[in-house]
Amino acid sequence: MRLIGVLTLASARMFFRQREAILWTLILPLFLIVLFGFIRFDGTTTLEIGLVGPRSPVADSLRAALARVDAVTLHAGSRESETELLRQGERDLVVVLPGGLRQGDSVLVLADLEAKPSQTQLGRLILRTILDETVLSDLESVTRPRLVVEAVVTRNLSYIDFLVPGVISMSIMQMGIFGVAFGFVSMKKRGILRRLSITPLRTMDFIIAQVITRVTVLMLQMGLMLAVGVLFLDLHFVGDILSLTVLAILGAIVFLSIGFALAGSSRSEDQVAPVANLISVPMILLSGVFISRAHLPGPVYAITEIFPLTFLADGMRAIAIDGASVLEVWPQTLGLLVWSAIAIVLASRLFRWE
Amino acid sequence: MEAVTDAPVISPSPRLEPPPASMPETIVKVEGLTKRYDSLTAVDDISFHVSRGEIFGILGPNGAGKTTTLECIETLLAFDAGDVRVQGIDVRTDPLEVKRRIGVQLQSSAFFDRLSLNELLTVFGEIYGRRVDPASILDEVDLRAKLQSKVSELSGGQRQRFSIAAALVHDPPVLFLDEPTTGLDPQSRRHLWGVVRRIKTEGKTIVLTTHYMEEAEELCDRVAIMDHGCIVALAPPHELIARLLADGFRKERIERHANLEDVFLALTGHALRED
Repeated sequence: MRLIGVLTLASARMFFRQREAILWTLILPLFLIVLFGFIRFDGTTTLEIGLVGPRSPVADSLRAALARVDAVTLHAGSRESETELLRQGERDLVVVLPGGLRQGDSVLVLADLEAKPSQTQLGRLILRTILDETVLSDLESVTRPRLVVEAVVTRNLSYIDFLVPGVISMSIMQMGIFGVAFGFVSMKKRGILRRLSITPLRTMDFIIAQVITRVTVLMLQMGLMLAVGVLFLDLHFVGDILSLTVLAILGAIVFLSIGFALAGSSRSEDQVAPVANLISVPMILLSGVFISRAHLPGPVYAITEIFPLTFLADGMRAIAIDGASVLEVWPQTLGLLVWSAIAIVLASRLFRWE
Repeated sequence: MEAVTDAPVISPSPRLEPPPASMPETIVKVEGLTKRYDSLTAVDDISFHVSRGEIFGILGPNGAGKTTTLECIETLLAFDAGDVRVQGIDVRTDPLEVKRRIGVQLQSSAFFDRLSLNELLTVFGEIYGRRVDPASILDEVDLRAKLQSKVSELSGGQRQRFSIAAALVHDPPVLFLDEPTTGLDPQSRRHLWGVVRRIKTEGKTIVLTTHYMEEAEELCDRVAIMDHGCIVALAPPHELIARLLADGFRKERIERHANLEDVFLALTGHALRED
């Protein structure tokens, strides 16, 4: 036990004296959260409308009314330039106003009906309403049913709530696969492991120390991301820390074991890199870290169901945002347990000192 | 336990001293060691004993099997035939016990980055279950001033000496040094000879390999010369020289009382340049 303590302390020292490691493990995930949090690329995007045509009092009031709609970003320009932007995908709709805009005149709407059916539909509804209100405003006497909007407070989950648990899960995977595999292969290549193999050091003691160090760093990383999320990015964290920690450690065991298996079966960093990327990149893209899996086509969705990162990210999200416990997310917990059994068997078969 | 006469008191030059007449304690015993790699026989049925307190040299051209022999004794390599024991312990059946009794400097030893020599020696001591005093271990190899330095900040000679210090943390009775002076300048090489001699006076047995005949002559009590995996000669250096001369060998050139290395050292001094 004492030896494991000494080895853990030593490997922690080595880790924290390495500036690039701190950058990659602590700063980069935060950077990703802030960056993607601002892009909000799942979020409610606004409708890009190009408005062209000669100026007139009616056209101006129409323009002003459209500009007040939050869901619309209005652009002005010539018909040719706006149409070109529509073709390039920079506009959702181009609205061409006729000169006078009297009753019986028609307003031309240009849109790609196949590529953007819902945007076109939404744009038409907004335009219809505004045209009615603008042009028929002098016919106010007509009694129309009124719309009354009442405020209701909701949990108001944002993209940040989706993103933070996902990035935490991704960081656990990266630390396991890349941290362990590259670290060990480098120690192997440079002869550090060989030097250790002529001492009575037991492999297990060395590995346990490495695992403790990395799990500690992961906990720090997770705490930092949650703290920044709650303090600065309006993260709705309602999770139970214990459940979150248990699931994170379970995930760490899966990915650290994959890392050890990779380290064991490779001789150099050049051999590790492609395999590590082959494993991690599809999971980053398809396991619902940055983008919800809901949009994936059926067969792909089915495959991603059993990815270890899917289990981890879904579980972490349910615990952190929905307040579930580690037992309530039992399908994810069970999935990770099965994966950890597979990964540990692989690691013990493949891991070699030399 | 044993009665070894203090050789330097009788003669200032221990290498001229014949091995003790009394039955010396065998520390390393190699009998019929054979190691094959596919078709190549790297070590071919060699045998030798190393006695307590001696410096035993293994010489030979590249590929002769020196390092392979060492690595078989050090438990790093599995071998095909033979009986190899360190203090009577079979390296095949009890490698862990052998590892506890040997200190090893590998030909290219790497240590963890970003740890000071102090921290490294502490960790290595703990691996052997010992709480060591890194400063006094570094004293033995004249590196005390580098206690807080990192390995990456050391010169070549300092690295070799640190590698020896790391092999000494558990006070092993026998030390294996694989080409300890390869790549060092003459000053560093001579300095390392001094370190090795000092370790010997502490009663340790040392087995080393080298390419430098001058080094073997200077340090070793006995040498085994290997070629193509076999030992072609095994005796104290002066005896091997005497045998060659008795066979009628004479150097073609006029005997000179100095060589270029003497000139180099006379011009640049014996002082180490790195510290």
